[in-house]
Amino acid sequence: MADRSEADRLKEETWIQRLIRRPEIGSFIVMVVIIVALAIASDGKAFNALGLKNNIKIIAQYGIIAMGAAMLMIAGEFDLSIGSMIGFAGMSMALMLKWGLPFGLGEATPFMAFIITLAMTLTLGWFIGTIVVRSGLSSFIVTLAFLFFLRGTTEVAFRLINQSTQVSGLPDYKENSWFANILGGEVFGWFYDAWYWIGQRAIDGMEFPARLPGETINMLAALNINRRLEQWVTGFDARFMWFLIIAAGAYFILSRTQLGNWIYATGDDKEAARANGVPVNRVKVGLFMFTAFCATMFAACQVFDTNTSDAAKGNLMELFAIAIAVVGGTLMTGGFGSAIGVVFGAITVGLVANAVFFIPEIDGAWFRVFLGSILLAAVFANERIRKRITGGI
Amino acid sequence: MAEPYLRVENLVKQFGPFTALGGVDLEVYPGEVHALLGDNGAGKSTLIKTLAGVHQPTSGQIYIEGKPVNFRSPRDASAAGIGTVYQDLALNQLMSVTRNFFMGRELKGPMGTLKMDEMNEIAHDEMLKIGIDFSDPTQAVGTMSGGQRQTLAIARAIHFGAKVLILDEPTSALGQKQQMGVLKTIKRVRARGDIAIIFITHNEIHSRLVGDRYTFLALGKVIGAGTSQEINNEEMRRLMAGGAEMGDLEKELAAI
Ligand SMILES: Nc1ncnc2c1ncn2[C@@H]1O[C@H](COP(=O)(O)OP(=O)(O)OP(=O)(O)O)[C@@H](O)[C@H]1O
Ligand SMILES: [Mg+2]
Repeated sequence: MADRSEADRLKEETWIQRLIRRPEIGSFIVMVVIIVALAIASDGKAFNALGLKNNIKIIAQYGIIAMGAAMLMIAGEFDLSIGSMIGFAGMSMALMLKWGLPFGLGEATPFMAFIITLAMTLTLGWFIGTIVVRSGLSSFIVTLAFLFFLRGTTEVAFRLINQSTQVSGLPDYKENSWFANILGGEVFGWFYDAWYWIGQRAIDGMEFPARLPGETINMLAALNINRRLEQWVTGFDARFMWFLIIAAGAYFILSRTQLGNWIYATGDDKEAARANGVPVNRVKVGLFMFTAFCATMFAACQVFDTNTSDAAKGNLMELFAIAIAVVGGTLMTGGFGSAIGVVFGAITVGLVANAVFFIPEIDGAWFRVFLGSILLAAVFANERIRKRITGGI
Repeated sequence: MAEPYLRVENLVKQFGPFTALGGVDLEVYPGEVHALLGDNGAGKSTLIKTLAGVHQPTSGQIYIEGKPVNFRSPRDASAAGIGTVYQDLALNQLMSVTRNFFMGRELKGPMGTLKMDEMNEIAHDEMLKIGIDFSDPTQAVGTMSGGQRQTLAIARAIHFGAKVLILDEPTSALGQKQQMGVLKTIKRVRARGDIAIIFITHNEIHSRLVGDRYTFLALGKVIGAGTSQEINNEEMRRLMAGGAEMGDLEKELAAI
């Protein structure tokens, strides 16, 4: 009896057991199932050159805002103003680009339009956060107010300045401005260069793929990996890069830094965190600013990609962002979640949202049926994880 | 007699119209266990939360080594050497032992990254020093036993340089054996001689076992104080009930 120590009570786990107990495992499995199902159902079209680009576009869009929403949820708060913030930021940039800087300060460069807009949205994020932490009101209601307030402001500003609720036909700033190009242009062209190079060899049947079995060559050919076939793709949308940067940043902060520890502590038990000297209010306000930043990046990529904007942009996006965060394993009650899980969630939801383009037979509304279902499943799964960790309370 | 490490003079704390503390005096000495006793709602937790910088006093003064201090936040108090183990322990259930141990005072490497391995090791060693060999510092606190949590919170306070260790009902909600474990921990900390301990409890036996000095609170005021020699068992029992009849307490219990 006496020679038994506490350490004996812990069973050594293999790496597989550890992996299975990771909180991201549920969202990972769902993602794999969706990828496989979509590949089969679309006859590979969902992942050919153009398919991949289109899918990654929507995944990155969802991912950028879901990452902001998830970080905030981990700290125990919601932001329902994300969608309206996207509309507001898009309006602000487009109007400045079309009508010049405010107060007659002359023409707006893409950089100026972006920076001024970002300053405004960060200030709004700070303001929303400050109201929440100072008043102690639920962030749900405060940000709901800003959902209406910002959407209304966006429409009014459009009508007053522009006489119409959309701006279109802006010049293609990407051609001359490097700044517009890193937001709305293309990135990772080398990926498609390599892809086509391999495809070209495969189809020509030259030395390199000669050793590949025949079916593989046929499969590669079917994936349309040839610049000479109808798909001419030169790179991913720049938002893919921003998504990767934001996701990597979020992962790093949450798992490796003091700030990450503070974010978890704030959402888990605010009073305990405060008693240990964690500046919980500053953490929360900072994260409201971060969601505003994510919304602004979403809008900037859109404006410089399409050279348009309208008052309805970003509609409902706050709800998608929250849904993806939950599907990715973020706990509604705060204190728990991971950036990797959110990436899986964004991939899953993005692929399903796009599925109708690759499988035209299905009704696009099935997307929402699916989203509703996995959302519910995810909430139950997350709750089980929470109970396991807290010992069942 | 040595100088008290911490002295409280005429401390008043009001929550709106409600006076939680109505002018409390207290002295705690290094190497001593000061038992703070009193009925439910007497104001014990409020008093120590004020010492810990969670609440700001309405009036009155706190002195550390004779110098007046004002704590505007828990950070100020812990910088001044006040380490608090709250009744609710101030632990985050979903987070790991190590992350809780270093919460708010994380060890950072270059570029602000957490030194996770080093922190795991320290957390494990510090808990071992006061009596618990905890095998997996990455385990979530929610799955730990009550005694283990108490040890974690005490080890944390000591590691971060507490000169005054405040324990708010550390033995409540624990099994017999774990209660004794916590008392042993208190004795071990006391034996170091440099740390003053404020020990809140409702248990007469526990306070007799480890207490060197007692202060009794009732309805926000001190109704009695003295060393363990000065106060006999009968006096103690009367003061612990807030000077009230034991019969009243029994009625309260029956009503629940
Ligand atoms: N933040 C607050 N706002 C208003 N009243 C409070 C607050 N905190 C404590 N009180 C009141 O102050 C009184 C003293 O509470 P306190 O928690 O200090 O009691 P206690 O002596 O620790 O009791 P127990 O033995 O039950 O832990 C109680 O009547 C309580 O309701
Ligand atoms: Mg109390």
